[in-house]
Amino acid sequence: MNRELVKDLFLSLLIVLSQLLIFNHINLFGTVSTFIYVSLFILYKTTYDKTYLILFGFIVGLIIDLSLQTYGAHTLASITVCYLKERIEKYSFGVNSTLPLAMIRGTQQTNRVTYFFLIIFLHSLIYFSLIFFKFEFALTIFLFTLINSIINFIIIWIISMLIFDK
Amino acid sequence: MQSIINSIIKNRNLIIYLFLSFVTFNYLYNNSSVHYSGLGKIGTFISGSTSSIYSYINSYFNLIQENNKLVQENLELKKYESQIIYKSDTIDISESKTDKTISAKVILNSINKSKNIIVINKGEMDGITKEMGVISSKGVVGIIKNITDNYSSIVSLLNTDLKINAILKNSSTIGSISWNGLDPRIVQLNDIPLSSSVKIGDTIVTGGMSFYFTKGIPIGRIEDYNNTSLEGYYSIDVSIFSDFSSLSNLYILQRTDNEEIKSLLNE
Repeated sequence: MNRELVKDLFLSLLIVLSQLLIFNHINLFGTVSTFIYVSLFILYKTTYDKTYLILFGFIVGLIIDLSLQTYGAHTLASITVCYLKERIEKYSFGVNSTLPLAMIRGTQQTNRVTYFFLIIFLHSLIYFSLIFFKFEFALTIFLFTLINSIINFIIIWIISMLIFDK
Repeated sequence: MQSIINSIIKNRNLIIYLFLSFVTFNYLYNNSSVHYSGLGKIGTFISGSTSSIYSYINSYFNLIQENNKLVQENLELKKYESQIIYKSDTIDISESKTDKTISAKVILNSINKSKNIIVINKGEMDGITKEMGVISSKGVVGIIKNITDNYSSIVSLLNTDLKINAILKNSSTIGSISWNGLDPRIVQLNDIPLSSSVKIGDTIVTGGMSFYFTKGIPIGRIEDYNNTSLEGYYSIDVSIFSDFSSLSNLYILQRTDNEEIKSLLNE
């Protein structure tokens, strides 16, 4: 158990560092920002304590905010996703939402896609809403959210497969 | 206590989430000018809305105090008005001074009888004496008839026994107002000779030639008139300004020089 926890913490550190050192500097087509750190919340095991996840989301979000000068947009998006993760799991996996790695194995692929996409879309929606923060930009917020969600979904899906397919 | 603690533990995720959201918003608000201005606008909107709701509810509960305040203001204005009327005219028996006005609330009122009486919540203890004139904010109401320590009855203008000295405001032609007991909105102006000029819409005010009212207090407006009388007088219907069906606050006029004039007449 402890070994597994240490491994997960090391993995989390690696993903956060990758975000800070590499993905923070990638901006595709001037509109797409890559937020692979969201994979930490997606892959957080369903058996771990949800309270810790919210605190974890806060710390990770704050680190990203400080590095990108986004003044709390990542933090709020992260803690909201972490808070709602349990409900999204139940919605996506139904009775299988108690499986520790339901997001990777033991469930239907369509359920996993739904789960991944919902979390990424929600995170992007909150993030871009806070970044633009005006009703006049509602359409822009929606377009940015959609494009970023699709690209980030693909990247995070690949990363999760790379990690767990070993 | 235990149930409160259990409830907090049960909802700890929500509490932590709300707390962290608050911290984050605070961070956004203090560091980003865009969010500072945006959240400031939202804050102004929320505080404005809640303040207006609070103000609305509060004003509703303060209506009684507001009403009393307005009555007091009216009282002051009535005093001021009577002083102006007194100063602006030549002095004769009619222009005796009204130097005290007492406010009162109607506790009993009727308009459906031929001899209507109004009862108010002020009596002898409040300085009210018999035969004082009573007005509303719109015009003449009646005359004090009986008094007890705390209550008084008023002979209403809608009482067939009452006659009040009145004049046409424009021509100062003297007549008297009485009620025929039919329509509570209409009283009759009598004793206006056919030689006088009368028009529909002319204002009727008190004539001042009585011990009850000073000159110039509004009574009503000419609604209709008939000049076919063989007696040489108009038959005039006057629509009264005061709405007797909804009387609430009344003012009692006290004329200090009545006794002096009465004693002069008795000699």
